[in-house]
Amino acid sequence: MDIASFVPVADAIPVHWFWLQSLLTATTFLHLVAMNVLLGSGIIALVIMFRRGEAARPLSCAVAESLPYSMALTVNLGVAPLLFVQVLYGQFFYTSSVLMAKLWFVVFALLLIAYSLLYLHKVGMGTSRTSLTFLTIAVLMLLVISFIFANNISLMQLPENWLRYFDQRAGWLITKGDPVFLPRLFHFLASAVAMGGLAIAVYFEFRRRRGDGDTDQWIRLGSTWFALTTGINFGIGFWFLGRIPSNLIDLSHPVGQLYAALILVSIPVAIVSVIRAMSGKIYPAAGWALTAVLLMTIARDCLRLEYLKPYFSLDILPQRAQYLPMVLFLLLFVGALYLTVWMIKLLHTSQEVQS
Amino acid sequence: MNYPVWELSFAGGGLLIAMVAVIHVFISHFSVGGGLFLVLTEIKANREKSPAIMAYVKAHTRFFVILTMVFGALTGVGIWFTISLLNPAAVSVLVHNFVFAWAIEWVLFFIEILSLIIYYHTFDRLDPKIHQLIGWIYFISAWLSLVVINGIIGFMLTPGAWLVTGNFWDGLLNPVFWPSMFFRTFLALIIAGLFGMVTATFQKDREIRQTLVRYGAHWLLCPFGLLLASAWWYRATLPPALEEMVFSRMPGMATFLLGFAVCSALIVLGGLVMAIRMPARLSRPLALVMLLVGLTYIGSFEFIREKGRKPFVIHGYMYANSILTEDLPSVKQNGGVLQIAKWSLNKTITDENRLEAGAEIFTLLCLSCHSVGGPFNNILKVTDGLRPMGMKAIITTMGSDLRPYMPPFAGTNLEKGALVEYLTSLQQK
Ligand code: HEC
Repeated sequence: MDIASFVPVADAIPVHWFWLQSLLTATTFLHLVAMNVLLGSGIIALVIMFRRGEAARPLSCAVAESLPYSMALTVNLGVAPLLFVQVLYGQFFYTSSVLMAKLWFVVFALLLIAYSLLYLHKVGMGTSRTSLTFLTIAVLMLLVISFIFANNISLMQLPENWLRYFDQRAGWLITKGDPVFLPRLFHFLASAVAMGGLAIAVYFEFRRRRGDGDTDQWIRLGSTWFALTTGINFGIGFWFLGRIPSNLIDLSHPVGQLYAALILVSIPVAIVSVIRAMSGKIYPAAGWALTAVLLMTIARDCLRLEYLKPYFSLDILPQRAQYLPMVLFLLLFVGALYLTVWMIKLLHTSQEVQS
Repeated sequence: MNYPVWELSFAGGGLLIAMVAVIHVFISHFSVGGGLFLVLTEIKANREKSPAIMAYVKAHTRFFVILTMVFGALTGVGIWFTISLLNPAAVSVLVHNFVFAWAIEWVLFFIEILSLIIYYHTFDRLDPKIHQLIGWIYFISAWLSLVVINGIIGFMLTPGAWLVTGNFWDGLLNPVFWPSMFFRTFLALIIAGLFGMVTATFQKDREIRQTLVRYGAHWLLCPFGLLLASAWWYRATLPPALEEMVFSRMPGMATFLLGFAVCSALIVLGGLVMAIRMPARLSRPLALVMLLVGLTYIGSFEFIREKGRKPFVIHGYMYANSILTEDLPSVKQNGGVLQIAKWSLNKTITDENRLEAGAEIFTLLCLSCHSVGGPFNNILKVTDGLRPMGMKAIITTMGSDLRPYMPPFAGTNLEKGALVEYLTSLQQK
């Protein structure tokens, strides 16, 4: 059977795809950063609490306090890429979601439970074993969610897997024969732990600059986690690269060229961020690390286009132009940024009045 | 005919979506009305210089944050997940036409989260005026997000001029946009009052408890007349055919219409009773019961709206089984459902595959509305006792004046035969 004949017909998009792809990449980047902070800081806090117990209190309290908010932010920032991926790649994404519908539905249940547990953990704040159990279960659920997401992303870009639907219509389809599935999943998870470490370092650096005591050891701890896992992640990254089918990347084509260039540039950028973190320059390290994540997010979107090339390119999407709604959205977005900065400043000064 | 169908035979589409959706609309209306409730109650506390009322506002905020941020936000994502699994083609239409309305919704959602967290954490830290301003920012963004989503939901019921123009604004500002916006706004205030009464009954001090429960009861009673007026306006703006469908032709609708009427009365009655002085032992369970009444109230309304749209998912444009109205006649001409559907395995019907093909036809054309053995519109029940001839007659008259609640049967005669055989085989199991 010709697999291409199963790909649904795409609906018309209201603006040039370049806008939508840029928004998709940008919001995916934001979502990944929030997700990394959530999952990474959760994992690190868990490990440190098991290893050091009471001595880890300053760290575990800070993380426990932040986790529900990181979760809220991760979910919110996940909504936007979920929207834009449907606009550009809906015919692939809806299909893969239906094929694994039950798993996809499980995500929702897991999110709900994990979120509630993070709140309970915050209330108990490292003072009891129960609260530690809550965190453990929540982190495990987040890991399962990342597996399911990776499964969907793999399934959507490998229509070769789709025909198994006819033996398996109830929605439990798991991607098969994707050589990059595991390395990619591990690459993302390691990145989460690294960025979680960096977030911890940034947070305590912020407190140090405000003149709080007992911050140095946590800054060091965070940056060490960041440096070590990033080091390991280089290995995983090369494993991942090596597993990508060799004929997939077409270097004579702009998307393939962009992909290769991004990977080449992001490696030194990541190295610089590790060096800066190790020499205690936390804010610059964060700047470099975010740049690396952004570059890799763009590379990842290029890679998806390469995967889908036999079936699809963005140029084939029909367009029915209506730009005003987008302009309104962008205006509101800028307004929201302004409002965000104002509110956060307010929060900041209000704390100073207090203490 | 574009997407694979998730074979969820027992629950059908209806059950899942109904469960997630009713909880979500309840909490999300609370998250709008409750925002105004917080700000106005805070202002009241400041004006009356009452630390007790202020303490109540704080406690209520805490409850509000957890309920709306965890359950409100996640069930919203949950609905999104569910409907894109149950009807990807329709969601795709909504997403492609309204992508920037959704994107605006997302930005508003972000402001909601941020302002609510800050509001919650800065009660004693900010100048009261500024603190209230943050509360207003929360409420306005929550209300605006209701306005936007209201446009998209209304679009599915009455797409209006969009059907011809395909224009974003025609779709969003569709015929029921305004009445529905007012209706939902007043409903949000009532729900805020219901929750306000619940938390008020947990106040220790008798005087304060009484004052606050009465205050909450006002939130039910004051908007109530306006709610009914906007419901009436809503009904009056429906196109006549749709109005007739909703109020007289749709089987099974009477229950929900009755539910809505009874709950209307209970809301008023409950509001009056709650204003009577009574011990917490009594008022607390009563407030909780009122909360359930509120849930049933909004649930009935959403069911009426969803059911009334049948046989369409987007009225006049796409049927519930995701066939476009305009494509319907061409399905037969192009060889039938199995030929046209991208996700059918049996492209032609032979003697060997008749049952399998019949099952696929059922999945493609009927499963979106009929469960197999489940609580919602069970096909086993509606075909119980029917002989093949009877079934054939029913299928032939689908979509006609006799059975306007179903889309016309899209397939060929051969496909009709295979479907009937499959349905008969189900009965024998
Ligand atoms: C748009 C939703 C929808 C679709 C699609 C749909 N039905 Fe129905 N069907 C209904 C409703 C609503 C009823 C009325 C149920 C009741 O009376 O409670 C119904 C009733 C029936 C009945 C009972 C007779 C009657 O008219 O009350 C039969 C038989 C039936 N459907 C078969 C089918 C078959 C076969 C298909 C697929 C070809 C199908 N339906 C598709 C909504 C739908």
